[in-house]
Amino acid sequence: MKAPNVTSTLMGATLLAAGVVGAPVMAADITITMAAPDWPPTRFMKEHFDQTYTSPAGHTTTLDMDFIPWPSFYERVAASLTSGEQKYQMIVTDSQWLGAFVEGGYYMDLTDKINDDPELTAIMQDLHPALVSAYSTYPHRTRAQLEEAGEVPAPGVSYYGFPQFPDTYVTFYREDIFCDEGEMAAFQEAYGTNLPCSYEDWQDTDWTKWGQIGEFFQRDAGEMLAGEELTEPFYGIAYQAGKGYDFSTMQINAFIWQQGGDIWDESKAPEAQAEGVVNSDVAVAAFDEYLSYLQYMPPVAQTGQMDIFVIQDLYMQGKVGAIIDWVGLGEPVLDPSASTVHDKSAFGPAPGTRQADGSIDRTGNIGGQPFVLTTWNSDEVVDEALNVVKWWLNPETQLAAVANGGQSGLMSVMADPSYNDLRPWNRAHVEMIDWQKDVWHIPEFFEMLTQQQEEFDKAITGQQSAQEALDAVAEFQQELLEDIGFIE
Amino acid sequence: MADSASTKGGFGAWLLDPKRRGALLVTPAILILFVMNIFPLLWSFGLSFFNYKASSQRVPRFRGLDNYADVLTDDKVWERFQTTAIIVGSSVLLQLIVGFLLALLFAKAFPMRRIVLMLVLTPMMLSFVSVGVFFKLFYEPTFGVVSYVMNFFTSDPFVTLATPAGAIAGIVIADAWMWSPFVMLLVLAGLVSVPKYLYEAAEIDRASKWRTFRTITFPYIKSLLLLAVLFRTIETFKLFDIVYIITEGGPGSSTETIAVYLYRTAFQFFRTSQSSALAYIVLFIVIVLTNLYLYAVNRRAEEVD
Repeated sequence: MKAPNVTSTLMGATLLAAGVVGAPVMAADITITMAAPDWPPTRFMKEHFDQTYTSPAGHTTTLDMDFIPWPSFYERVAASLTSGEQKYQMIVTDSQWLGAFVEGGYYMDLTDKINDDPELTAIMQDLHPALVSAYSTYPHRTRAQLEEAGEVPAPGVSYYGFPQFPDTYVTFYREDIFCDEGEMAAFQEAYGTNLPCSYEDWQDTDWTKWGQIGEFFQRDAGEMLAGEELTEPFYGIAYQAGKGYDFSTMQINAFIWQQGGDIWDESKAPEAQAEGVVNSDVAVAAFDEYLSYLQYMPPVAQTGQMDIFVIQDLYMQGKVGAIIDWVGLGEPVLDPSASTVHDKSAFGPAPGTRQADGSIDRTGNIGGQPFVLTTWNSDEVVDEALNVVKWWLNPETQLAAVANGGQSGLMSVMADPSYNDLRPWNRAHVEMIDWQKDVWHIPEFFEMLTQQQEEFDKAITGQQSAQEALDAVAEFQQELLEDIGFIE
Repeated sequence: MADSASTKGGFGAWLLDPKRRGALLVTPAILILFVMNIFPLLWSFGLSFFNYKASSQRVPRFRGLDNYADVLTDDKVWERFQTTAIIVGSSVLLQLIVGFLLALLFAKAFPMRRIVLMLVLTPMMLSFVSVGVFFKLFYEPTFGVVSYVMNFFTSDPFVTLATPAGAIAGIVIADAWMWSPFVMLLVLAGLVSVPKYLYEAAEIDRASKWRTFRTITFPYIKSLLLLAVLFRTIETFKLFDIVYIITEGGPGSSTETIAVYLYRTAFQFFRTSQSSALAYIVLFIVIVLTNLYLYAVNRRAEEVD
């Protein structure tokens, strides 16, 4: 038997010692490819990462953002995941996709990582609970269920995502016409109530007044508006009423929830039913109210194509007085090169439903996106990706993102005294975020959404009533959910 | 001995033997065709007999012909076939009429004919997406050109896409605008191939314009017209981009063609096996149409001969 030489013995001892005290992290070149929708909040992330990120592990890390246009974002991500190409290490995802892609084995369960890392635990505990519920949990847990389960990380709850951009919808309005003395007086005379001008006025604006605003400002070419003669028709209000993706569901759900109705509640499966809930009298009345205001909106509403981008466009062209749209679409409105109303716009909370006690319920459908990690990454890449998460959700980075048109979901950041002044819609965002709920997260989400959008679209374009639309949605969902075992 | 001969020249010489050269040259093309086309076709055909979902990791279960039965008994599928048939019928008819009239116009000489002809041919050179976006903006009721023009007559915004009929008309017009020049090119080829002496003889015989057209012009262009009808029918049957961009299948599902429905089933609902079954049914229809097309091409070739 040959005796080992001294050098190899020393090397072995060194390696053993390194193993005992913990393997040192070797600096490496790491590229994190992230699927991201192409819009300002993700563009800023990339820009800011390149300028400020330093890997705490000493790696040379590149964040390679694959910017995908919004209209094809879901299809591109879904095609990449299901094809097995394993291209992305991180993905900016809509919260509703969690079920499909967790069940598909593509999104990584981060519960243990959050459990083991005090920094991540602290971040999760600082996140607004509406975001933890909507963006992170699968199977979905409501805010009430999470509160009951205890502090994050709660036992029995699985966590997947962190907010990349938490979005809410708020009111964008033309300060020059809403605060015009002549218009205010005329509105007061016509409806016996004030025309909302200040932020506080919008806090007291319900759907009834929203309809009155629509009727009041609907004017033909040649009529006067705030002392000036209109050269083309003008419309008072607009909100989303589009067939594509979720471009009517997000607004219609708000009406239904605010009036005490509900959608199929996945958190109560398998007892929760679709029939009798989705098409309840309350839900039908709420949907009817939503439909009743479409007559005051730009005529594109009649085609079922008034999506979030169309209303943003019409508003920026100066054709609409007030819109309800996502904060994420606010930045171009203030851009002089893109918007004719960049210096005339102000922001307030979205209207809601007046309750018996006089308060206003603003329950709404959460927007924005979490980002998630994929399941095929090496430990080294996972750790570095979580370092990127920590960097992004660091208060300093978050304040910089907010100042550049992003938003934060961290309660400590939203409580920062400077926060509301960073962007003109921040106050409204903070007020609205507490009202947010989410739609379903189950793998069949897209099927349910597409069928619902189609039925809603028929009602929006006058092909059927609210009752017929919700009956069709309820019947479809009941059958589908019974088939897959979500309803017993 | 052949073996010893090939050994003498080495493997390269054996491979480049004139007997094998032909096979060698077509092998890369066949390999690419197999990998990119035939294998996916066979694979998806196999999938159509299972209950596979691309978004799920569940092990697929064999379903036999159930997916085909489900598709063929699904009312939604038949509704989409009806919508497709309406769009195909209207669009191809409109393309024939417009294309034919344009061909008659360009069969004669007039000033700047070549430049105008180039302009008329431009739509068919554009991408589907561009045409879809153009027409979506044309039809926009607040600032679109159609509403703007109609405003002179109605004083109200003209909302083309608000009704199922209007939306179908909108798609048909966009598709016909793009492809009428193609029909025109085919018909024009027929028109210019008519020998001039036949027209001179007809003039001497004092034949009416209608009789001249029926007995001289039409026989020369009829097989080309048939080609145009078949080719455009096959293409319009697969219409996706323009529909998806202009209406997304709406209002409701009134303009959702079978291609759009197929796309939704495959890539939004991830019913992979069911969508494969539907794709094969569509493929079967396209193959039938293509065979008719090839038959027409052969007949035309025989006529020319």
